[in-house]
Amino acid sequence: MFEILIKTLKTGTVTIKYPQKPDIAPLGFRGKPELLPEKCDFCGECVKACPPGVIWLDEEKGEKALTLSCCGCIFCGRCEEVCPHGAIRLTLEYELASKTKDDLLTIIRRRV
Amino acid sequence: MSEELIETIKKEFRSNVFDETVSNNEHYLTVRKEEAVRICDYLYHRLDFPLISVFATDERAKDGCFRIHYMFSCKGDTFIIIKIKVEETSPGFATLTHKIPASNWYEREIQDMFGLVPVGHPDPRCLIHFEDWPAGFYPLRKDFDIRTKPARVKGEYIYRRVEGEGVYEIPVGPVHAGVIEPGHFMFSVAGEPILNLEIRHFYTHKGVEKLFESLSIDKAVFLAERISGDNSVAHSAAFCQAVEKVACVDIPPRAKYIRTILLELERIYNHFGDIAGIATDIAYPFGAAHANRLKEQVMQLNEKVTGSRLLRGMNTTGGVRRDIGDKNELISKKLATLKNNFRELMELLISSPSVADRIETTGGIPNEIAKGLHVVGPAGRASGIDGDTRRDHPYAAYPELKFKVPVRKAGDVNARTLVRADEVYESITLIQQALSRLPEGDIRTEVNQIPDGYALGYTEAPRGETLYWVHILNGRIERCKVRDPSFCNWLAIEYAVLDNIVPDFPIINKSLSLSYSGNDM
Repeated sequence: MFEILIKTLKTGTVTIKYPQKPDIAPLGFRGKPELLPEKCDFCGECVKACPPGVIWLDEEKGEKALTLSCCGCIFCGRCEEVCPHGAIRLTLEYELASKTKDDLLTIIRRRV
Repeated sequence: MSEELIETIKKEFRSNVFDETVSNNEHYLTVRKEEAVRICDYLYHRLDFPLISVFATDERAKDGCFRIHYMFSCKGDTFIIIKIKVEETSPGFATLTHKIPASNWYEREIQDMFGLVPVGHPDPRCLIHFEDWPAGFYPLRKDFDIRTKPARVKGEYIYRRVEGEGVYEIPVGPVHAGVIEPGHFMFSVAGEPILNLEIRHFYTHKGVEKLFESLSIDKAVFLAERISGDNSVAHSAAFCQAVEKVACVDIPPRAKYIRTILLELERIYNHFGDIAGIATDIAYPFGAAHANRLKEQVMQLNEKVTGSRLLRGMNTTGGVRRDIGDKNELISKKLATLKNNFRELMELLISSPSVADRIETTGGIPNEIAKGLHVVGPAGRASGIDGDTRRDHPYAAYPELKFKVPVRKAGDVNARTLVRADEVYESITLIQQALSRLPEGDIRTEVNQIPDGYALGYTEAPRGETLYWVHILNGRIERCKVRDPSFCNWLAIEYAVLDNIVPDFPIINKSLSLSYSGNDM
């Protein structure tokens, strides 16, 4: 019993005051992928490489749209790896809980 | 060694062996269908080679036949695979279960997924299919479209009954309270002692092996990684090793070392989690809190090292995707403190009489039962089975590193806890050795243009031996047979609980650390 008390006191508090105090993910974290519209040329390499198929390309009324859904994303970073323009990258963002699926979509568009 | 062995087998069975092919450390012998049981029995009982997998392939497009493969793990880092041809028009094959109990579930799996019938099987009920699945639909046959949704039919599944005065049944699950996957446990009890337990699983069967056949190899790595969430590295590494073997690619030494470090980090956090789970179920929250705290520390370390708490996204065919060389000091420092903390915790845990009271002699699995069912991993080693894929069929950097394989004989919850604890220390020394000798160089070799062929990849996951048999045809996956350790170990729980009391079931269950997801593929 005495040893348990010593161990407990020695350990102290190990929890942190999250979310009051932000908990920032370490560099290299596999978080929410980000699309950089100024670099993207809509080549579709990321679409082909994405294992769960949550990136897709639409073309309608002279406009190209690239959609990335975090709903089903496995954060593998294959999109980042294959993109020839560095237009997609994983970020440190992990607070992705949402009440609608639409909130989990990132869409970038370009006129053709 | 292996050549002599093959000669002995060929001599013993002469005209019954039609064909022999050797690739890497795998010897494939095609034998007469009627002789398979006798040959397997000889390998198992006379030569003492464990049966590690039985699976079928649909090769009707080639010659109108299915094949059944019986895979044995042999001494001297070799595997013998006995193959038989089974024609579609005569789908029966003699059961091996009477001779080797471990083949029980495999044969029933083949029956459900391929429609081949294990004649004389002691328990021919469906295993993976449910009673409402219509006859004639066999998902792993090539002519079964992955999008098929057969209409459900009326059917019945009959559980074993234990009858007698005062005997009653406690059906538990498949829907459980709390965050746990589905499984049905039918207990027959007389008062508190358990007279019989029958488990029923596969409620979340996902058709993973079929899915592999529709994926490109680069994508399939991520599927393998998700078959059993907390054994991600072991699964993806086994898959990658199988593909690399087919492609005749030797991955760079640095990649081998990185894989080894990841595999051992995975073992450490799993073992901490299992020890925490056992402590929770014996109402020792102090121990559980500390073990969970250590597990959390490893997961945070994982995140810093790989970007993923579950070490995902690292393995790829040809090596690894990220270097971890700059994390050397971070890992070493963390492991040193973890080791001290863990030692302190284990001393408190072991010296507590209330802990000993709940785990000693609880949930015993006798050695002969463990051997018969081919129980693997810490559960097997706690029942006196001296087996560890890292040593017996070395891969990654293991041939160059020193480690012990802890084995205990008691077979109870206590032994399983202590085997895990001993393994944690071994894992720490393995990582320390790997870090100090981390070779310079590339972390990845390109794997392009994979020739047609098949190979076995294997790892020792935290739960035990994990196997991937991958057949590649025209650059695509023709067949990927996954054998998760839990597929072997689940049946052991039916024996482990006998004569124990119902309140000890959760502890026994936790001590076996069984995966639903890895099993219900």
